[in-house]
Amino acid sequence: MEQSYLLTYLLAVPIIGSLLLLFINKEKAHLIKYVGLIVALIAFVISLIIYLDFNDQSSDFQFVHKFNWVTNLNISYHVGIDGLSMLLILLTTFLTPLTLISSWSGIKNKVKEFTFFMLFLELGMLGVFASLDMFLFYVFWEAMLIPMYFIIGIWGGERRIYASIKFFIYTMAGSLLMLVAIIWLCVYSADLLGGFTTNLLDLYKTGPTINTTIQGFLFLAFALSFAIKVPLFPFHTWLPDAHVEAPTAGSVILAGVLLKMGTYGFLRFNLPLFPQASIDYAGLISVLAVIGIIYGALVAMVQTDMKKLVAYSSVSHLGFVMLGIFALNQEAVQGAVIQMINHGLSTGALFLLVGMIYERTHTRKIADYGGIAKIVPYFSFALLFTSLSSIGLPGLNGFIGEFLILTGAFKSTVLGSWWFTVFAATGVIFAAVYLLWMYKKVVFGEVTNANMNSVTDLNFREKLVLVPIFVFIVWIGIYPTTFLKISDKTSEHIINLVTSPVNQIPVEKIDVK
Amino acid sequence: MFSSIQEFYNILPLVIIGSGIVLSVLIEIYSKKSESILPWFSILVFLSAGFYSLLSVKNESVVLQNMLSTGGITNIFYFIFNIGAALVCILSVDYTKKYGINYGEYYILIQNSVLGMMMMAGAKSLFMIFLGLEVMSVCFYVLAGVNRKKEEAIEASLKYFLLGSFATGFLVYGIALIYGSAHTTSIDVVTAGFAEYSSDIIFLVGILLFLIGFSFKIAAFPFHMWVPDVYEGAPTTVTGLFSTIGKAAAFAAIIATLTALFSGENTSMFLPYLAVLSIFSMLFGSIVAIAQSNIKRMLAYSSISHAGYILIGLASGTSVGVTGVVFYLAVYTFMNLAAFGIISLVEGENDKNLDINSYAGLGTKSPLLAALLAIIMFSLAGLPPLAGFFAKYYVFIAAIKSGLTWLAILGIISSVISVYFYLRIVVLMYFKEAEGEVVPSKSFSGFFGVVISVLLVILLGIFPGSLLDLINSYL
Amino acid sequence: MIDLIYLTVLLPLLGFLFNGLAGPKIKNEKVIGIVGSGVIGLSFIVVVGAFFETLALPVEQRLNIVTLFQWISVGGLNISFSYQVDQLSLVMSLIVIGVGFLIHVYSIGYMHGDKSFWRFFTYLNLFIFAMMNLVLADNFLVLFLGWEGVGLCSYLLIGFWYDRKFEKSTTSAAGLKAFVVNRIGDFGFLLGMFLIYSTFGTLVFTDVFSRAVSFAVPEHIFVFIAIFLFIGATGKSAQIPLLVWLPDAMAGPTPVSALIHAATMVTAGVYMVARCSILYASAPAAMMVVAVIGIFTAFFAATIGLVQNDIKKVLAYSTVSQLGYMFLALGAGAFSAGIFHVMTHAFFKALLFLGAGSVIHSMHEQQDIRHYGGLKKYMPITYGTFLVAAVAISGIPPLSGFFSKDEILWYSFTNLGFVFWLIGLITALMTAFYMFRLYFMTFEGKEKFDHHKLHPHESPKMMTVPLIVLAVLSAIGGFIGIPEIFSGEHGNLFHTWLAPIFKTAEMKLMQFGGHSHFEELLLMIISVVAALSAILYARFVYLKKPEVAEKTSSRFKAAYNILLNKYFLDEAYDATIVNPIVKGSEKILWKIADNKIIDGLINYLARLIDIISGFIKRIQTGVAQSYALVMVIGIVIALFWIILSYA
Repeated sequence: MEQSYLLTYLLAVPIIGSLLLLFINKEKAHLIKYVGLIVALIAFVISLIIYLDFNDQSSDFQFVHKFNWVTNLNISYHVGIDGLSMLLILLTTFLTPLTLISSWSGIKNKVKEFTFFMLFLELGMLGVFASLDMFLFYVFWEAMLIPMYFIIGIWGGERRIYASIKFFIYTMAGSLLMLVAIIWLCVYSADLLGGFTTNLLDLYKTGPTINTTIQGFLFLAFALSFAIKVPLFPFHTWLPDAHVEAPTAGSVILAGVLLKMGTYGFLRFNLPLFPQASIDYAGLISVLAVIGIIYGALVAMVQTDMKKLVAYSSVSHLGFVMLGIFALNQEAVQGAVIQMINHGLSTGALFLLVGMIYERTHTRKIADYGGIAKIVPYFSFALLFTSLSSIGLPGLNGFIGEFLILTGAFKSTVLGSWWFTVFAATGVIFAAVYLLWMYKKVVFGEVTNANMNSVTDLNFREKLVLVPIFVFIVWIGIYPTTFLKISDKTSEHIINLVTSPVNQIPVEKIDVK
Repeated sequence: MFSSIQEFYNILPLVIIGSGIVLSVLIEIYSKKSESILPWFSILVFLSAGFYSLLSVKNESVVLQNMLSTGGITNIFYFIFNIGAALVCILSVDYTKKYGINYGEYYILIQNSVLGMMMMAGAKSLFMIFLGLEVMSVCFYVLAGVNRKKEEAIEASLKYFLLGSFATGFLVYGIALIYGSAHTTSIDVVTAGFAEYSSDIIFLVGILLFLIGFSFKIAAFPFHMWVPDVYEGAPTTVTGLFSTIGKAAAFAAIIATLTALFSGENTSMFLPYLAVLSIFSMLFGSIVAIAQSNIKRMLAYSSISHAGYILIGLASGTSVGVTGVVFYLAVYTFMNLAAFGIISLVEGENDKNLDINSYAGLGTKSPLLAALLAIIMFSLAGLPPLAGFFAKYYVFIAAIKSGLTWLAILGIISSVISVYFYLRIVVLMYFKEAEGEVVPSKSFSGFFGVVISVLLVILLGIFPGSLLDLINSYL
Repeated sequence: MIDLIYLTVLLPLLGFLFNGLAGPKIKNEKVIGIVGSGVIGLSFIVVVGAFFETLALPVEQRLNIVTLFQWISVGGLNISFSYQVDQLSLVMSLIVIGVGFLIHVYSIGYMHGDKSFWRFFTYLNLFIFAMMNLVLADNFLVLFLGWEGVGLCSYLLIGFWYDRKFEKSTTSAAGLKAFVVNRIGDFGFLLGMFLIYSTFGTLVFTDVFSRAVSFAVPEHIFVFIAIFLFIGATGKSAQIPLLVWLPDAMAGPTPVSALIHAATMVTAGVYMVARCSILYASAPAAMMVVAVIGIFTAFFAATIGLVQNDIKKVLAYSTVSQLGYMFLALGAGAFSAGIFHVMTHAFFKALLFLGAGSVIHSMHEQQDIRHYGGLKKYMPITYGTFLVAAVAISGIPPLSGFFSKDEILWYSFTNLGFVFWLIGLITALMTAFYMFRLYFMTFEGKEKFDHHKLHPHESPKMMTVPLIVLAVLSAIGGFIGIPEIFSGEHGNLFHTWLAPIFKTAEMKLMQFGGHSHFEELLLMIISVVAALSAILYARFVYLKKPEVAEKTSSRFKAAYNILLNKYFLDEAYDATIVNPIVKGSEKILWKIADNKIIDGLINYLARLIDIISGFIKRIQTGVAQSYALVMVIGIVIALFWIILSYA
């Protein structure tokens, strides 16, 4: 098939941008900020161009660009996207510029390094979503740890070192096990395909032919690394630390995009590569997901630190996504996909808001606030709006995802029981409790803390950051079709791969040079 | 002496080094300012020898009455040794001045040791191996103690000498036993007759002792004991030499002797030994490194665990594994030379600033140096897209291909542990504020050497293909 | 006009957007007020138009669907924003928009001078928007959209004065409580929807209801669906066990209590159950549950209402009890009777609240009826209208309350049996009593307030006109639902109008309203007599001999306290549900499970490696001999291995 260079351009932009930064004098903080922003915007524009000629009627990978990289191991630079990646790439390129703007006042020292790492990070995220080669994927997947590690470690809070190291080692431990599984898979496939290859599309053919027991092990090896990223209960404890210590931009990207890589991984790799195991373990994963939903919500409810609260709420929200994925029917999976986007927007916005108020008051303790509604009306409204979207109020984005997921899970034949949904749906109640409770304590009531009176309301720049997010929150809530149809065919395809996988060894062998 | 002119061309690399040594000695004797000439001269020698052997990689042959093989994998090793040695010299230029050990013999010894290494790599006879090993080791013993004013250095050199000769004893004994049962020292003959000899336990014990002798050189557990003390005591650049091409040479010798064996059906016989060594080295190295506060000691333990990873490749007992090993050795050489190079720049007179805490705040003080060190640390930890990752990836492939998945899993466990202490350096450099007054020395040559090595690490990480193809085509 | 029905949703939305965006800038009460109520007025015209248009149509064509655009379409799930204009939704729309409009107008006067006047109207418009979605929805999901939307508005409006105290806690706490309790209900509602979807493969009303008849679905499924949905209803309509939020909802401004917590939102549950009549008819067990919950709620709420001293609290409990009545009707299978009561109740309860508001307004936020008295000569209109409403709710003919309430009692007698009727009657009796207790203590008798501080006065036209209109409606509103015995041949208009909606359900229940006119008449007389006697007794106690009240309350101190504290329901919930969850989450889940166990394990593992490392480090003694020793040991082991394995 003919090559399309668009994705490569998209990946090239952050690279060029970050290299460009290296040649700018670190004193010119403003210039650096603008360069970073412009680069991020260019990436966004390119992703829009890609979206515009993206064909949502096909489940194939589009904009494929492939050339040999390490011929010896038949590793190739091989990128391409389907509906799922399309959405997540849009999310990434959409959030990155916003986070850059949002941290204009927050990041005062080492602006150059910060911008550099942010672009580096964007590269990693885009790469993960675009890779169609296991090796390439793994390279991006791991490489991304480095910038995030620095962002937390350099610009983070008091316990930033602990948090960053924990984040790094925790995630790496998971992914190294995946590496072994990847190699095993490739070695196994080499015999069937007549040559060692890391080409995902070929592995799709061979994966399902692995016998059930080994498939189980491989599934678990992959699942562990993704579950840690998601994070799926009980692998979530790195998240609160990382979130609390990370600077706002870090938290936003972490919650907005990085966590989605876990769920993306499940959809892209676990399900199609190991269909049998996926069905065998659907129950287990769903149980963990449901526990995560309730557990995350309950723990979030009793947090005293706003950021921690939001962090735990992510555990709960991602639980919904995982439940949706393993319910394995169109409603649920589509719900899961849209919920990934929703969480990116809502939780991203929540972190932005917490960051904005923190810049003014230098406290995240809920108890230090109260009655700021009349002092910072715009902020209060924004926080309410975001909370409502996160609670899943019909008419806003959150509801669409949760409803679809729960509907799907309820009628899912794979799960085959109401109970998953019944328990998961309690999350809907708790979400209202923890978010509105915080809202009440922070925004309503009388002003107890004197130095709150001097707090200023959102400025233009901050509104500029929030408004686009809010637009999409409403858009998805009222007319989700725009986004659902992007991934519609893809979800359908993935479900088919699992429920009716190709169980015979591929006849045509790819030649390995 | 040469049966043909071609034979001469084939062993030209050795000739270059040899004549280099002679010339250096003459320079040392007759030149007033030999200190300033010799480094650059030896660099020239190494580079010419290295690149020549790379160009003449196709000239595969066995020369000097089946003593030495040339071309192919041998030349690739020659290349690695010489480039490594060249880098060591570049790094040494200012470092030796700083320590007042810029004696001419310093460089002559390095050239000598490289000659020894090359003999080991190309050896076709057990004698040749022994010869090369001794040539190399003796130079090392001296180099370890080249800083006569410093007790630690002398102690290190002595320990190295004692234990080294102790190990060599076993090596020789092993060779003797092999000879006793095979009545030859020709590796090819031994290999050919391996099946019949191996019924004779004496023969097997011989091979084992032979391996043990090299296990010492490659610093594998439990024959690693000398490593931390020697690495710490010896001048940093010299440590760089030991830990990189020194180790590579030992592996080269093992490959030279065992690759032949790997072809036969008796492959599996000594693989368990290698596997066990590998496991213990990896885990021991990684775990103990955590407790180190002296960066050179830390890297010493790290080199023990890397010996373990490399052994995975050998233990898999396939040509894939060997490819992995050679690649790994190349990468490891550049990684460690960069690391020790940076240390040599940071450390002050009489061993100041060797404590890892003296790296605190380096990120703000000298960003470039810190960035380079960070890259190296990530590479040592095995993070893509750096060469360290790809090297590990390759040996893991080899292991899994030969059904040693468990070995690979142990490998990753040890990597995860090792991440901790590699990251600690990064943490100190970037997340902590500077404490003491640490001023890295402004040595252009030093910087240059480090930058080259780091660039190689990055390049080999992103484009490992060319080197791999080269190695592959000769295995 | 029918195809313009979406305007009734759109206009309030526009009003909401205008007031929300421009409100804080313009700050002009006139503009905001006019826009705010104007949009509702216009919507009212549209609804009326649609009503008459539908009326003109032959009966079988009275169901029309207006589709705007597709909302969600995934797999088998196809949901559009489309509105169903039929007899039932029209009745509800008329009530919502009509009463809504009056209350908007009233609010202009009531909220005059409030610092966030604009915010009030913004929320109010938003509420109408959501409520119209609820009643016009042609599928469960849009209904749910409105359902949650009204919940949100109620939350916002209860906490409208977010910086004020309310009883022991704050208004915002009350709002939160309302939202959360409603969410608990919605949890049930959601499950109901899931079950409906997985059973019938659709969420569109017409399809679901037709398939409910055509599909062969086991009865227990119907029971589950019905119960799940009803859980939602108990939340929204403050029935046992979820009634706790409504009394606290009185923290909101009085017009809000009138509109949301009396006339419209709280009846959403009733509407929803009536809408799903066929599903309930297919699940008799569920019907019984509804009836029982209804009657008990009616009874207990009434008992609590007897002793409350806060004017709004009395009305709140009366609302709960009246809602109980409506569910009793539904449970008895008298769906249209239930809706009929929704309507009449909307009139007189809204009127009562607005009257109360007018009183509170002139008494400067004083809400305790023990500090009122003899107000009638100060505020004649309020007094007059309030009296009408009180009479209406007490069920004295020929005012509206009489018809609706008696119908319910009658059906509960015929379809559910004597006991239900009896409890219903006692409830009616109590209702009459506490309403007039309220009335007498407020408007009659000696003035118990401080004349120097308070100068009661009639409220402005803006507020009184709506009162009068509502008074008229409460008075004559009942005539459209006169039972056959009086109306004779052209029957009960209201029923005949709604009949098509409930036809299938009633056929399934097989009720041929076995009318013995004598019985019906007898029961009517009994209830009227009961009501009258209750009123007279109230007059005797609170006008003639106030001390009697004191005595009784002191004699039955315990009972009195229980009632005064609404059976300590809140306390019980806190003790058994709320606190355990909160404390458990904090002390066990977070502090122990998360920090100590899950996270602990990771950190302990790290520490363990540290320790091992520090320990092994010791073999590195620095003594060459010991190094050699270690090597030798290694060599020996290796030799043993090779000899043992190959010799």
